[in-house]
Amino acid sequence: MKNIKLNETPVRTSRNFNINNIKLENIKIPNTLKEFKNVTVSEIGSKIKIGSNINKFNLTYGLGEFFVNQINENSNYKANIVIDSKTSKEVKIEFDFNSENDSLAENLEITANEETNSTIILKYESKTNIEAYHNGIIRTVAKKNSVLNIIILNLLNELSNNFISIENHLHENANVNYYIIDFGGKNSITNYYSNILGENANNKLNTIYIGRKNQLFDLNYIGELRGEKSNIDIEVQGALKDEAKKHFKGTIDFKKGCKKATGNENENCILLSEKAKSLALPMLLCSEEDVEGNHSSSAGKIGEKELFYIMSRGFEMKEAMKLMVRARFNGFLEKIKNENLKLKVLEEIDKRLE
Amino acid sequence: MSKTKIEEVNRNIYDIKNKDEYDFKIKKGLTKEIIEEISKQKNDPEWMKEFRLKALETYDKLELPTWGPDISELNMEEIATYVRPKTKLNSSWDDVPDDIKDTFDKLGIPEAEKSSLAGVGAQYDSEVVYHSMKEELIAQGVVYTDMETAVREYPDLVKSHFMKCVPVNDHKFVALHGAVWSGGSFVYVPKGVKVDIPLQSYFRLNSPESGQFEHTLIIVDEGASLHFIEGCSAPKYNKVNLHAGCVELYVKKNAYLRYSTIENWSKNMLNLNTKKAIVEEGAQVDWVTGSFGSKISMLYPMSILNGKGAKTEYTGISFAGKGQNLDNGFKVIHNAPNTSSVVNAKSISKNGGKCTYRSLVRITENAKNSKSSVSCDSLMLDDYSISDTIPVNDIRTDEVEFSHEAKIGKISDKTIFYLMSRGLSEEDAKAMIVRGFAYPISKELPVEYAVEMNNLINLELEGAIG
Repeated sequence: MKNIKLNETPVRTSRNFNINNIKLENIKIPNTLKEFKNVTVSEIGSKIKIGSNINKFNLTYGLGEFFVNQINENSNYKANIVIDSKTSKEVKIEFDFNSENDSLAENLEITANEETNSTIILKYESKTNIEAYHNGIIRTVAKKNSVLNIIILNLLNELSNNFISIENHLHENANVNYYIIDFGGKNSITNYYSNILGENANNKLNTIYIGRKNQLFDLNYIGELRGEKSNIDIEVQGALKDEAKKHFKGTIDFKKGCKKATGNENENCILLSEKAKSLALPMLLCSEEDVEGNHSSSAGKIGEKELFYIMSRGFEMKEAMKLMVRARFNGFLEKIKNENLKLKVLEEIDKRLE
Repeated sequence: MSKTKIEEVNRNIYDIKNKDEYDFKIKKGLTKEIIEEISKQKNDPEWMKEFRLKALETYDKLELPTWGPDISELNMEEIATYVRPKTKLNSSWDDVPDDIKDTFDKLGIPEAEKSSLAGVGAQYDSEVVYHSMKEELIAQGVVYTDMETAVREYPDLVKSHFMKCVPVNDHKFVALHGAVWSGGSFVYVPKGVKVDIPLQSYFRLNSPESGQFEHTLIIVDEGASLHFIEGCSAPKYNKVNLHAGCVELYVKKNAYLRYSTIENWSKNMLNLNTKKAIVEEGAQVDWVTGSFGSKISMLYPMSILNGKGAKTEYTGISFAGKGQNLDNGFKVIHNAPNTSSVVNAKSISKNGGKCTYRSLVRITENAKNSKSSVSCDSLMLDDYSISDTIPVNDIRTDEVEFSHEAKIGKISDKTIFYLMSRGLSEEDAKAMIVRGFAYPISKELPVEYAVEMNNLINLELEGAIG
């Protein structure tokens, strides 16, 4: 059992605001990690290579030193994915946690070579009642003119701890799109960093989350714009039930030289219980004049007028609320092309809103 | 296209330096002996002396903030915390020594007193040198005096409110203030009394390598109303000066208080000021703030909405030029049902200046049916200035409506083009855009300050835009 302080914001604010980092108590962290066997990798063609040779690394931000060290020293799943496919390709890696495979420290390195187009789906699920531990580090390099879509589906149970650090480097004209469905874990802690280097590079980060019971989500998303005419859009939609909590820490940092860059951050949280809590820090940092940055953030319950309207059409209160939350997630779901995955997400949304 | 240039604040008036003459100046540094000496010089009652010494103990225990601008250049060993000017408190400008009166004349204080104010307080270094209020307000029971007089003449009222709203352990510079405070204003507006014309206190720091630590305590009793204006300035010296004032506002049931500040400290000033209001049922406090001066500013006025239906509005603008780091913002705690807050913050960064908007909106479990709306806009006028927005939104219950939006960017080329197509010259178009940007704030300022702010926005054309 360990007490840890992690997920520091790139810029600190007053300690009294309780958002510069997060402190977790009594986190069960495995001392040794045996091989994680319950991994399914979908069929891949010759244009995508998966190896396991990965050098030690450091992260620009990350959740904290401990998590990087654990991966460097003791990772129990490694994959070095290199994409050469010019036509759209999909890779699906599924991690199923059970009593034999309850701890995962996975090291993923993804390189999207020039002009390539690919989608990587990562699914983490625990169907049994175990206290799973997941420390994942995903590092990507998107080269010139590449398109890289990454879908992360977190369906761990509510006894588990989910830690993910992501670091992306985007070169000229690269498009990196993330779709994160963050539903699982007692604690789900994510550190996301994009270094948007190339001219016209474009990063979209879309997240939906639903919290219930005592779930805690701590989302620390950082985008640094360096390339001219580069862009980042961060769109986060969520709903909190029961005594669930969400911390959203979003940073768009316009670095000097990123002329005509744009950055947008939009975070909305529906509060479905009087004990649910939403804490948000949507930061805009700007050292370049010729840019456009916007952020917006909102929190509150579902509008009474909207609820009344839906209920007047014959729906029960619970159903009406479900519909409203699903409507908020609709924009996200429309972007998911994989129909099976979309159905799975819809099913999970309904289950979690019961 | 041509480069936009916004002029810096014309500091000719503010930079007038008088000879560093004083009646008494405490030695530099911060020790128990120094605090005891300040207390003796000020003829404090025993409770205040004890209070100061306890605050010093708290100061020694607290750490410097681990966030915000770098204030490591502040060395309290180099700061004299108490400088008594060579005059007593006067109620006629004729009795104020010529050089001090001349300074306030140039700042326009006596003139404003005649034309548009119901009362004026003027502080020079550590002591208030002039205080006066219209007879009719005295007759209505309004009290407007310097803090030292209030400590002596209204001990119960002061004792029950002094540093209760802003406790000394709030942060290190509040503790410092508690230990060395001197001067400032005390206002009490009795129940139901409406003070229609503003009161104004002006704080002038003339002495180099010194600090100003004035304490403002305002109590607006039930159903009463007041507009209070605070102005401050100092001439520029090569070494650091420090301002760590404290403002405590008590706005009782159904009362109204507007607190306007024009801060124009010199660019060697560290402005580490603390302002807080406790707002009771049905009451409202509005903050209007223009922040133009200081080398470093860390200032976040705070409203604590403690009563049902309490309201607050914050309207503020920061203008950071060369060598300035203005870290300003607002904090609000919604602590009762049906409370509301509206925040409208703007900043302009130019010539390498840095503006940061830092804020907190906290809606607690008690604040059912509360509403909060926050808007902050930042304008960058060149590519070597910095503008950051760091807002924290802490929502702890579901029955709320909360929204926050922020924008950052430069003057839009399209807008300039549109205005030019309507017949405006490029420089007029840019001036109009910047004035339009600042207008929501300038319209809330007292008129003479609004004119002054608009005068800052004189555009020149120079070089080429990107």
